[in-house]
Amino acid sequence: MDRQAIRLHINGRDFDIEVAPRKLLSDALREDCRLTGTHVGCEHGVCGACTVLVDGRPTRACLTFAVQMEGHQITTIEAVAEGGELSQLQQALHEEHGLQCGFCTPGIVMTFEAYLSEHPDPSDDEIRDVLSGNLCRCTGYHNIVAAIRKAAKRMRGDGHVAA
Amino acid sequence: MKPSAFSYHRPVTLDAALALLAEHGDAAKAIAGGQSLAPMMNLRLAQPAELIDLGDLLGLDQLRESDGAIEIGALVRHQQLAESELLRERCPLLAEAAQGIGHYAIRQRGTLGGSLAHADPAAQLPLVAVTLGAQIELASRRGRRVLSAAEFFVSVMTTELAADELIVAVRFPALLPGEGAAFRLFNRRHGDFAIVSVAASVQVNGGRVARLRLGVGGVEPVPVHLDELAARQAGRTPDAAWVAEMAAGASAAVEAENDERITALYRRELTESLVARALAAALKLSGAKP
Amino acid sequence: MSQPEFRYIGQHLPRKEDRRFLIGAGRYIDDIEVPGALHACFVRSPHAHARILSIDLEAARAMPGVVAIVTGQDLALWTTRHRMAPPIDGIQAVEMDSLPIERVRFHGDPVACVVATDRYLAEDAAEQVFVDYEALQAVTDMRHALDPGAPLVDETLASNLVSHQHQAIGDVDARLRDAHRVVESVFSQHRQTHVPIETRGCIAIWDEGREHLTFHIGCQVPHPYRTALAGRLRLSESQVTVISPDVGGGFGQKITLYREELAVAALARELRRPVRWREDRMENLSASTQAREDLCRTRAAVDANGRLLGLELEILEDFGAYCFYPGNYLARVVAMILTGPYKVQDYRFDVKVVLTNKVGNAPMRAPMAITSWVMEGTMEAIARELGLDAMDVRRLNMIEAADLPYTMATGEVLRDVTPRETFEAALAAIDYAAFRERQRVALAQGRLLGLGLCTVVESTTYGSAFYKSAGIAGSGHEAAWLRIEPSGAVNVSVGLGATGQGYETALSQAVAEGLGIEPSSIRLHLGHTDIAPYGMGSRGARGGTAGGGVLYLCALDARAKVLAIAARKLGLADASGLRMVDGRVERAAGTDWADSGLTLADLARIAYLDPLALPEGMAPGLDFSRTFDPPPMTYSNATHACEIELDARTGGLKILRYLVAEDCGTVLSPVVVQGQQHGAIAMGLSGALFEEVIYDASGQNLTGLLADYLVATATELPDFEIIPMHTPSQFTPAGIKGMAEGGVMGAIGVISNAINDALRPYGVVADRQPFTPMYLRSLLRGGEAAKENST
Repeated sequence: MDRQAIRLHINGRDFDIEVAPRKLLSDALREDCRLTGTHVGCEHGVCGACTVLVDGRPTRACLTFAVQMEGHQITTIEAVAEGGELSQLQQALHEEHGLQCGFCTPGIVMTFEAYLSEHPDPSDDEIRDVLSGNLCRCTGYHNIVAAIRKAAKRMRGDGHVAA
Repeated sequence: MKPSAFSYHRPVTLDAALALLAEHGDAAKAIAGGQSLAPMMNLRLAQPAELIDLGDLLGLDQLRESDGAIEIGALVRHQQLAESELLRERCPLLAEAAQGIGHYAIRQRGTLGGSLAHADPAAQLPLVAVTLGAQIELASRRGRRVLSAAEFFVSVMTTELAADELIVAVRFPALLPGEGAAFRLFNRRHGDFAIVSVAASVQVNGGRVARLRLGVGGVEPVPVHLDELAARQAGRTPDAAWVAEMAAGASAAVEAENDERITALYRRELTESLVARALAAALKLSGAKP
Repeated sequence: MSQPEFRYIGQHLPRKEDRRFLIGAGRYIDDIEVPGALHACFVRSPHAHARILSIDLEAARAMPGVVAIVTGQDLALWTTRHRMAPPIDGIQAVEMDSLPIERVRFHGDPVACVVATDRYLAEDAAEQVFVDYEALQAVTDMRHALDPGAPLVDETLASNLVSHQHQAIGDVDARLRDAHRVVESVFSQHRQTHVPIETRGCIAIWDEGREHLTFHIGCQVPHPYRTALAGRLRLSESQVTVISPDVGGGFGQKITLYREELAVAALARELRRPVRWREDRMENLSASTQAREDLCRTRAAVDANGRLLGLELEILEDFGAYCFYPGNYLARVVAMILTGPYKVQDYRFDVKVVLTNKVGNAPMRAPMAITSWVMEGTMEAIARELGLDAMDVRRLNMIEAADLPYTMATGEVLRDVTPRETFEAALAAIDYAAFRERQRVALAQGRLLGLGLCTVVESTTYGSAFYKSAGIAGSGHEAAWLRIEPSGAVNVSVGLGATGQGYETALSQAVAEGLGIEPSSIRLHLGHTDIAPYGMGSRGARGGTAGGGVLYLCALDARAKVLAIAARKLGLADASGLRMVDGRVERAAGTDWADSGLTLADLARIAYLDPLALPEGMAPGLDFSRTFDPPPMTYSNATHACEIELDARTGGLKILRYLVAEDCGTVLSPVVVQGQQHGAIAMGLSGALFEEVIYDASGQNLTGLLADYLVATATELPDFEIIPMHTPSQFTPAGIKGMAEGGVMGAIGVISNAINDALRPYGVVADRQPFTPMYLRSLLRGGEAAKENST
């Protein structure tokens, strides 16, 4: 029940922290690792705002205990814009106005960075199907879908590359 | 909504996990994908003093065919079931059902064993297990035993799983020649638990029904296999009238739960229309023309 | 489009603020690190209504990490009570303790606050607080709240009726008497809640030396909030700074000063340590604020052609247990603007607002949301009962351009609206005639298609004159400042509170237009009460008109001074031949313009560093302030249309197509306006079809989790088509009309009308939201039975 020292491997770096077993990964990322880009919206796995990648797979950080993550690779929103340059998906969200308050945005970006890497040519129905696991209260989803469609196209090399 | 404190264990072998369960009994809970247990812990509806993490266990993720059955390890994730080529060919009902579980991110983590142990009356995998007559293998320090799915599910979120036991594998029958199967459900929103769900599998030989399996979920405390109705169908001609008769029969056979918001009448109506749709689809896939 | 020529306003510019949100570098309340801050957690009542007999803190105080635990008794010493007593006939004055002392009034009412070194430990300790309650009878149904002998939610009142407003204009009785038909309709809207993805939260830091409170909180109205907070803590406004960081959605839930927030502030002062609180989702769904539960009944007196002769409206609203807002708040607007685009001069309304043992109400995006549903639904009912085409009935009664300005029976004046135009455009776009044919064919195949239409006249911006005539304390003005720095950099500020609506982009465009520089060179400062001017904040849809308006005017002031400096520098008599474009001064040369060689930076240098070179009598510096009070009311309008398919067997519904023709005047940022329209429609559809706060008969909240309170996801909502038909206002700066809430109004009305269109063959009407599959199936079942019985 006491705190234990664990090593988390996040975004290619090691973080040595001391947490109680019950500390949620979402809280450990934000407080102990100071990576506040992952947001907490519900703590019962429904809203998707806390989605990160664990070994490349979308995972709700609120449904994971930090201690479970030793030996795994975690990727958070902070790793997506490499060298400060927005990813295709981030750029497309910007162009298509696929975000307003921004609170749900990191969860959506992480989900689709993973999804698009394995499913490069999704239909709109498939996009909406995967997106249904992320709640957004601001946009009505229309522009998010358009952004994902655009990003997928560019990542396939079908469209012109953004300047 | 933070969970209460617990001691964390991370066994690396099945034996070690079973030893921990034997030692701690009711004070322990095993966690696999965590998609059902973690929310309950965050809400303090579950407050295990000992948490046994099964994440490191090897050898519980098999997905293979042997002896006319598909053997699936307890730690296989929903998304693996949904995307499995083998299942699509040899147990399509399971693959189709898995595709609709929750959402993409949930499916990355949730496991077959976890879903069966959790035994939500509206969940997909327990319904498929009951409908197909799956065999569930349980392990403990005391040994191994196999229960049929029907035996395994006792009531709402209650199973035969003892405090010191783990599900290790589940065996589903492989698709027979001339068999088609379909899964249909009705829910408020995509990904929500079903209000009513139906799993149907029909084998047709020479234009006649050889075997029918028909299960309904969400109407009773456990998934229901309509044994009596299904058993009487051998030799029937699977035409449109037959489908309608099955749908009406299923609706009459279930003892639907009743509450103010979702009445028994509504559940029976859903049963009827979902059975009709599932059977029509299953027949199409079997190659027979309804 | 008849929008005047603008260079920056109306440009399709992607948002300036996006980057930090996309890369996870936004700074929301929970991201702000405060070393040594303690964490608060509230103990809440499990009962809907109970007397607090005793609170035992002994075991909790001994728990690890606990620093303090306080109750209502403690807070009563450190704060004042809240008094809600607007001087309006028909409203009862009510008071609220900072935390309940004698009684709890809803399931979730906070009774104690635990402060510990982290939230986990605070929750452990909260479980060890033992409260002895004496459960009381609860009022859980507004229709019985006024029954004789009903339990009193507030014992200081004679009954649970907290507000009763009524007004009669013309002679409605005569119209009802002489009518060809009196058409009666009912509209029942259910209880909902805002669900911003970021829940509430705050951080209080008390500086004992300076006796100053710094309060971080996601807030739509930083200055009014500061006024309230200072008052309740018995501090001067100069002793309180409110700072609103990035906010993950507000929708009306982040306006009022909540009891939890006040407790956190008082505790920081008492403990002399920073204290922070983050609401969890269960608290947000069951213990923050709720909205929309109302029952409306209309009686329409009509002639044989369907012309509206007189209209009567009755509203009953469930306000919950506490008045965070005046009891007449919602009802006032609904009753006042109800008739919308339809002509009728004999109108009366009766609005009753009652207290019940549920969470208290707050305005939720489009608090007047029910308005268009009720009015359009009444038109549909008239058509149904008289066997007329619903579109013809609308045309017969709707105002046209020739009718403007049109004064509604209630005195509201519609000037610059175009409901008839948006109506015809929406109807054409959805291809009404072709739809009827498709519907007929589908019905023959056993499929139910439905088409709905709903015209919205949205009250967006309230001027001070409106508040005065309504007897509501408060102002409608907004304030801004603009400062050009010596280098030519431009800083601006306005008293709004950003919660995701793209102010940094849209308002930059307003400033850019006024001053003549590029939007990218403007920095907007919001949310910090020491920096921003005192404004009324962001509510309704006033950001564009009031905020954009005042900034535009302020920028025009700045431009005038800057060009006067340029004229002097260029040796001209005045600035009439000069203009500012993209930060450079251009000089008229015949019919053309030529670059003068002067930039904004050059002029700023003079103003700050060479004041003797300024025109005679001109003060140094480039610092401008402005306030702007908008007209009493500004309206925008739109018509929504949608096509649905209803599954007769399951009651399930699919939206096949959704479009809206909209006129919101001058559009500052088409990007932002499109996003706002999508979001509003989505919230309306989600509310009408899925969301529902459910209390059982004993007052237990059954929807405290997102698994139970259902918000629409991407698979439930359609694509949205928007047809822009903007015409500028003649009465506001730059012709802005504003928008952001009309989408909710339209969505609620249009989905209702589409469903009822699909149900017509069954002779049944859906008049109760949410339109769940179970409810629709029950209507269909009734209709099927009636058909069988009649054959």
